[in-house]
Amino acid sequence: MTKNIFLACGLAGVVALSAIPVAAHHSFGAEYDANQPVTLTGVVTKIEWTNPHSFIYMDVTDKSGKVANWKFEGYGPGVLYRNGWKKDVTMKLGDHITIFGWRARDGSNWAHSREITLADGKKMMFGPPAGTGDGGNTPAVDVR
Amino acid sequence: MIRTFYFLLAIGLVCSAPVLFAQSKSDFPRGPDGKPDLTGVWQGGSTVRGSWDEANGGLGVGGSGRNPNAPATPASNDRPAGREAAPYQEWAAKKVLESFNKRGIDDPTSLCLPPGVPRAVMLGLYPQKIIQTPKEILILYEYMNVFRTIPLNAKHPDDLLPSYMGDSIGHWEGDTLVVDIIGFNDKTWLAGTGTFHSEDLHITERYTRVDKDQINYEVTMVDPKVFTKPWTLRSTIMLREGTRLEEYVCAENNVDPANYEQLLKAGVKIGR
Repeated sequence: MTKNIFLACGLAGVVALSAIPVAAHHSFGAEYDANQPVTLTGVVTKIEWTNPHSFIYMDVTDKSGKVANWKFEGYGPGVLYRNGWKKDVTMKLGDHITIFGWRARDGSNWAHSREITLADGKKMMFGPPAGTGDGGNTPAVDVR
Repeated sequence: MIRTFYFLLAIGLVCSAPVLFAQSKSDFPRGPDGKPDLTGVWQGGSTVRGSWDEANGGLGVGGSGRNPNAPATPASNDRPAGREAAPYQEWAAKKVLESFNKRGIDDPTSLCLPPGVPRAVMLGLYPQKIIQTPKEILILYEYMNVFRTIPLNAKHPDDLLPSYMGDSIGHWEGDTLVVDIIGFNDKTWLAGTGTFHSEDLHITERYTRVDKDQINYEVTMVDPKVFTKPWTLRSTIMLREGTRLEEYVCAENNVDPANYEQLLKAGVKIGR
């Protein structure tokens, strides 16, 4: 019971979190389309643990056996580290993972990552939500 | 019905007990001068108490993102719901709107330039560290690795070179730290996509530590060249014990401006 109460309080805390303004180094909406969610499974071929954003490259095999290399953008290393990621430990080259995110506007094999399901089944956030940094739904000024 | 009421009341009391306790205790440290000591690592733009992990739900800052149709979490360059419009003069409001309609691809930080004030203070994804001495207060921002020095009871130099973070001086009014900032260049955004300003920008910040976990932050921006009246925003800055600042070297792999160019060249519509 105690555990359930703390869980309920914790969930209330997560709801309160929605008021947090996150930093946006660049515009999500200019590069990615929030109306094109994508979930892909594949093998990690390269990880760029770089500022201001990290990148994961993953080989994705389609039903016909054709392999395509996809690029996924995510948080920079400092944010990832605080969120529990450890470089070269949490995710390694060759790991089979699943990435949920949103596709780039040009339709190429490029997307913005959000949640990653790691080889051991654990789910972790690798990038911010759709829409981050593109100005939101309302401009800072009233439209006349 | 009555049982439901008492159940909800009990839940409310259990959930709020630690908060009420912390607020009534007012147990924050004070410096040798008796003023509130703001020293510590803090998260701007948050209302949640606790460690970084506790406050950010383990999901990473910014909600679950599982529902692509859900509204985006406000970013430091978004206008939060309920916030009144920035009081720009008509010509200036049009310029702000142009940036919004371009989805902020002209954001100075996309070129790794310093975020300026109050943007550096109010963003939530990166922590900031306050180091307080009786004579001077320093604030280190992880985002873009910028800093501010705030000498107390000092005067602004009369030969200021315009800068991204401006020139800060502070004094105490009771338990509130009041910071006066001038000497800005005109190359930063204040609080929202396109919220530009002139070199005449004059900012007054008020930091009031109300308990161990929370600083109430109020910022008033005056710029007669672009505003019709002063613009005041309020938010909270929350203590994050156990968090440390990481390095942030933005120029390392900043590919986004090149991506904008590439998409525009390919004829992809990236604006609104």
